[in-house]
Amino acid sequence: MSSSLKVSTPALLTTEHLHWCTDGNLILNDISFTVEAGDFVGILGPNGAGKSSLLRCLYRFVKPDQGKVTFKHQNIWQINANDYAKNVAVVLQETPSHFNLTVYDVVALGLIPHKGIFERANKMDDEKIAQAIEQVGLPHKVRQNFEHLSGGEKQRALIARAIVQSPSLLIMDEPTSHLDVRYQIQIMALAKSLGITVIASFHDLNLASTTCDSLLVLNQGQLVCQGTPSEVLTEKMLLNVFGVRAQISEHHQYKVPHISYDYAYIQSEQQFEHENKKDKPYV
Amino acid sequence: MFKKSTEKKHGAWLEKNNISQLAVTVLAVIACLFSFVCALSFGAADISFTDVWQSVLNRFLPSEVENEVGFVQRIIWELRMPRAILALLAGCGLAISGLILQMVTRNPLADPYLFGISSGASLGVVILITLTGGIFTVMTPIAAFMGSLVAMLMLVVIAGRRQSQQVESMLLAGVALTFLFSSFTSLLLYHTDPQAVTAVLFWTMGSFSRAQWENLLFPSLVIMTCITFMLAYRRQLNAMLLGDESAATLGINVNRFRLIMLLLSSLITATLVSMCGGIGFVGLMIPHIVRFFISQGTIFGILLTALVGGIFMIWVDILSRTILVNQELPVGVVTAATGSLFFITLLYFRKNRPN
Repeated sequence: MSSSLKVSTPALLTTEHLHWCTDGNLILNDISFTVEAGDFVGILGPNGAGKSSLLRCLYRFVKPDQGKVTFKHQNIWQINANDYAKNVAVVLQETPSHFNLTVYDVVALGLIPHKGIFERANKMDDEKIAQAIEQVGLPHKVRQNFEHLSGGEKQRALIARAIVQSPSLLIMDEPTSHLDVRYQIQIMALAKSLGITVIASFHDLNLASTTCDSLLVLNQGQLVCQGTPSEVLTEKMLLNVFGVRAQISEHHQYKVPHISYDYAYIQSEQQFEHENKKDKPYV
Repeated sequence: MFKKSTEKKHGAWLEKNNISQLAVTVLAVIACLFSFVCALSFGAADISFTDVWQSVLNRFLPSEVENEVGFVQRIIWELRMPRAILALLAGCGLAISGLILQMVTRNPLADPYLFGISSGASLGVVILITLTGGIFTVMTPIAAFMGSLVAMLMLVVIAGRRQSQQVESMLLAGVALTFLFSSFTSLLLYHTDPQAVTAVLFWTMGSFSRAQWENLLFPSLVIMTCITFMLAYRRQLNAMLLGDESAATLGINVNRFRLIMLLLSSLITATLVSMCGGIGFVGLMIPHIVRFFISQGTIFGILLTALVGGIFMIWVDILSRTILVNQELPVGVVTAATGSLFFITLLYFRKNRPN
C-alpha cells in the first residue's frame, strides 16, 4: 500500500490509528495513512463510509477519540487554530447564505488568518484578492451576490478564498457534487493548477481516477485500500465496497483506469450488507 | 497586453466600489446631522431653524444676546438635545445589536427581543413597580437592566452548554425565556393594582422622555465600544455567515466568538431597554433594509446600518412628539407602524423588480 507513495518527498500530513465515535457509533476505525507534499489525494467510499468525518479530523473540526493527525510532524491539536488556518485551507460543500455577501467579500475572508483584528486590507491584499478572483475566472462576478452564483461559480469563489489563504494544503469535501460535467472538470483542473497538496473526497470514480495521484478507499469507517488509481480501482473493490459490477479499462488519453458500470446489476440491500460483513481483500 | 488591461479593470472595480460605499456613508452622515437638527427644531414649543442654530452657536460662542435666547436654549439643551441623542443612540444600538445577532445565528429573523432580553427587563420593572406601588423611580432602569442581565445569563448558560447545536439552542431558549418571563410578568400584573398595570404598559411601549444628560454617558460608552468591537471583528462576522464549519477552518473559535457577540448584543439591548423601555422592530428590520442596498460585511456596511437605525429612530421620535397636538405617542407604536409599512413597501417593490 505505502509502496505507491513517493519516497523522495517529505510527509506533509500523517494520520495514526484514528478512531472517532459519535452517539455510540464508530465512525472512523483505526485509520492510518500519509500524504506527501505535492500529492493530489482522493478519498473514495460509499455514502456513510466516513469520508467527511475523516476530512473533519484532518481540518481540525473534530478531535479524534484516539490516534492523532500530524501536520509537518506536529500534532494538529497542538498547533494554534489560526496558524493551522494559515497552512490549511478548506473548501466545503455548498453553503447557503442569505446575507448579501458579494463574491469579493467571500474571497476576502481568506485574509482572516493573516490579519490582526484592527488591521485593514492593504493594496497588496487587494491585489492578492483580485488575482485569486482572476485565477478562478470570476472577475465579471466580483460584485455579485454570492447566493446568486451557480454551484460551480460558488465552488470557484470558495477556491479563490482558499488561494487568498495561501495554504500548503487544500482540503475539499466533495467539491464536485451537484455540479455538471463541465464544472466538475473545471474545478478539478483549477485545484490541480494550484500546485499545492490537495486532499479531496469524491463520488465520481472516473474523475478521481484522472485527477488524483493516489486514492484512499473507506468503507464503514475503515480504510480498506490505498494506492495509485491503477492499484485501487479494481473490479473486486467496486463490487465489495460499492456493490456494483464494472469493467475496468485503460483511458485511451490519460492511461489511467476507466470504469464502465454494469447498469443491469444491482445488489439487494441485504446481499450488500451480507457481503460487506465478510472479511475479504479488496484489491 | 491582455493581462495589463485586466489588472487595470480590477483596480477600477475595487476603487469604484469603495468610492460608492464611502459616498453612501457620507450621505448618511449628512442625513443624520440634518435629522438631528430637525429633532431639535420640532416639538411642542415653536422654535425656528434659525433659533436652533443661534442657540447651538451661543453655547460655544458666548454672545450679548444670550438672555434673549435663554428660554429657547434651555428647551434645546436640556430637553430636546439629550432626547435626540438618546433616540440616535437607541436607533444605532438596536440596529447594530440586531445585525450582530442575525449574523452570528445566520438567521435573518433574529432580533434582540427574540432572546428574552426585553421580557427579562419587563419582569424586572414589574417586580419593582409591584413593590413600590406603580411609581417610576431612579431604580426603574436598574431593575430593567438587572432583569435583562438575568435573561442574558440564562441564555448564555444554555447556549454555552450545548455547543454542537448552539444556534438552535440559542433561538429556542430565547423563545422559551420570553414566554417564561412574560408569564411571570402577567402573574404579577394580575395581582397588582390598575395604576401599576398602566405604568408598566406605558413603559413597555417605549419612550425617550426620561432622557437626561447625566444618563447618556453609559449607553454612549456601551454602543461605541460594541461598534468598535464589531468593526474590528467584521471579517470573523462575515465568516460566520458561511457556516460554523467554514468559519472554524479560518481559525475562528466559533462557539466562543458567538457567545462573546451574544453578550455584546445583549448588553446593548439591556442598556437601551432599561433607559427607553421596549422598542421593537428596529433591531429586526433596519439590518434588512440596509441589506437591500449594500453588503454589510464592510466597515461602511456596519456604519451605515448604525446610521440608518439612528436616523430612523430620530424621525420616529419627531413623529411621536408632533403627530398629535400636546400629546406624545409611545415610540414603540410609531416605530412598529411606520417601519412595518416601509418594509412591506420595500418588499413589494423588490418582489416585482426583474432579477
